[in-house]
Amino acid sequence: MAINLVNVGKVIGNPQTRILNNINLTIADGEFVSFVGRSGSGKSTLLYLLSSLDIASEGFVEIDGMKVSDLKPDDLYQFRNLKMGFIFQFHYLLAELTALENILMPARKTNQMKQKEGYALDLLNQFGLKGKEKRLPRQLSGGEQQRVAIARALIMKPKYIFADEPTGALDSVNAKIVIDIMTRVNQEQGTTVIMVTHDAGFAQLARKQIHLVDGKIV
Amino acid sequence: MIFLAFRYLFSKKKQTFFTILGIFFGTVAFVGISGLMLGFRGYIIDQLVNNDAHIHIESREEFLSQHSLDQSIKFPALHVFWIQPPSGRKDNALIENPQQWYYRLKSDKRVAAFSGQLTAGVVFSVGKSNVSSSLTGCDPYAQVKVSTISKHVIEGRFEDLATGGNRIAIGEQLQKRLGVHLYQNVLVSLADRPATPFKVVAIYKFGNNNADSQAYSSLADVQKVNNTLNKVNVIAVKLVDFSQASFIAKTWGHFGLEKVESWDEINGSIFNVFAIQDFIRFMSTGSIILVAGFGIFNVLNMTVMQKRKDVAILRSMGYTDGDILQLFFLQGLMVGLMGTMTGLLVGFLVCKYASTLPAVHGPIDSGAGGTMQISFANGIYIQAAILSMMSAIISSIQPARTAEKLTPIEIIRAGAE
Ligand SMILES: Nc1ncnc2c1ncn2[C@@H]1O[C@H](COP(=O)(O)OP(=O)(O)O)[C@@H](O)[C@H]1O
Ligand SMILES: [Mg+2]
Repeated sequence: MAINLVNVGKVIGNPQTRILNNINLTIADGEFVSFVGRSGSGKSTLLYLLSSLDIASEGFVEIDGMKVSDLKPDDLYQFRNLKMGFIFQFHYLLAELTALENILMPARKTNQMKQKEGYALDLLNQFGLKGKEKRLPRQLSGGEQQRVAIARALIMKPKYIFADEPTGALDSVNAKIVIDIMTRVNQEQGTTVIMVTHDAGFAQLARKQIHLVDGKIV
Repeated sequence: MIFLAFRYLFSKKKQTFFTILGIFFGTVAFVGISGLMLGFRGYIIDQLVNNDAHIHIESREEFLSQHSLDQSIKFPALHVFWIQPPSGRKDNALIENPQQWYYRLKSDKRVAAFSGQLTAGVVFSVGKSNVSSSLTGCDPYAQVKVSTISKHVIEGRFEDLATGGNRIAIGEQLQKRLGVHLYQNVLVSLADRPATPFKVVAIYKFGNNNADSQAYSSLADVQKVNNTLNKVNVIAVKLVDFSQASFIAKTWGHFGLEKVESWDEINGSIFNVFAIQDFIRFMSTGSIILVAGFGIFNVLNMTVMQKRKDVAILRSMGYTDGDILQLFFLQGLMVGLMGTMTGLLVGFLVCKYASTLPAVHGPIDSGAGGTMQISFANGIYIQAAILSMMSAIISSIQPARTAEKLTPIEIIRAGAE
């Protein structure tokens, strides 16, 4: 099982602009892949196509053997809930909820709050956030917030982690912590990690790097 | 989603409070104004229904026209014309055959009581005071069943009229104008006939000038004075169920020549006033509720804009578009629900308080000098709840639909730039 892109292209906007052109790519289970390239080269667009949040204009995307465009909405939502974790450049935590409540939001969707609470606390401990589970996002530092967001992405033990410049808003110490977590998750749990970054050093850590220039893989 | 919707509302206490306040005021206003208006209306109808008979059977007054007499002419000739066409009134102010009506009323189970009356225009005089007014003859035992007169007697006993022999019950106004006291005599004269002395056995007061300037006596005595034995001009009927009056009056109307009118037809104009009142009531409170709904609409739309990123992240976690719709719709619904519930409660308390205040004396005296009559009808509370909730729900639909249609990718793209 894997993620497969076949002749994928993407045009958006009016007048239409081409962002991605004829992408063929396979990401096998358990891989740690990084997308690198200049700003505007189409990294984010590619990531969202891979992760079903966006739909290809040309070609098709297959996740675990199923075409994303053929999935029924309900299957798609279940897919995202159980198999995918998202980490964005900005943490996107819900400001009204505590750290623990934020982490448990995906579990809430499928009524697994009780079962997942222990794991959530465990993740908080691992990420150096012990005792801060009741804090609201604004009572946490930027690095802490991003770690809460990562814990939220991991709570359902997803098969895939999609990260769009997860270290973009962090200082180097916090960035290192975040990258370490992702590497560990990949190695210990076999989670497939797909990460967009423009930090060449972090990209090196990935086993596979994909370079994008003007919407094409080079 | 109710969990998150609640958190959103709770995190903006002030904004939430003011949005709730709008619906709250609308609901209180509706309950309060309706309670007052319908209470007063109930009081008036109560007076109309209880003080007087439910159905009046009267002789039909017929006005003559050019063709009124056509059938009485033995030789209908088209080429014959009136030099002066018939005009005026066929003076037939009496019910010719009241026995027939009595018989019918007695056998009708829907009739609680009836009383034949003969009212004559007379001049009352005591010493040098002369007052022209009307004297109504009735069976006093029947009369107390069709009207509330016995409750309004302030001196003497209305039923004492029953023994006959020229006894009279007079209204308080008439009593004052004549300067007469209980058990004294009043002279009653009709047209050019000699005056007959009547003895005052009761004095009554309705608090209504017109009614209190008249007098009652036994039917036989008035018939004698009027020289119309065995005849009446009105039969007053009390029904078991007053709400059937207009239906029953309509069927009886086909029986004879007489005019049959129900209490609500006799007081038709008051129902027009009620309709106008209703219009004003719904317009005024409706506009408050409308403005409150608009407040919900604005606040929700603003929240949707502010929470776009939340929508994106929720969608990426597998929350559906339906979940997002719920998230925002529930906020509007909860605001509406809280405003409505508190509004109903406070509206009820306001009404409870108002009902302890002394009554404002209207055109009809409140009799016992009691407190304000406020309606606590369930219908008011149901209508208020429906109006307020409808307003909240309708206001929430569009913002919630907007949020539902947001796609995560657009939000993320916009956020990244
Ligand atoms: N909503 C949009 N409308 C038009 N062009 C867009 C839109 N979003 C992104 N783009 C363009 O698409 C290209 C790729 O964007 P993106 O995938 O975000 O690149 P990266 O993540 O590598 O910086 C850029 O040139 C960007 O300007
Ligand atoms: Mg990007």
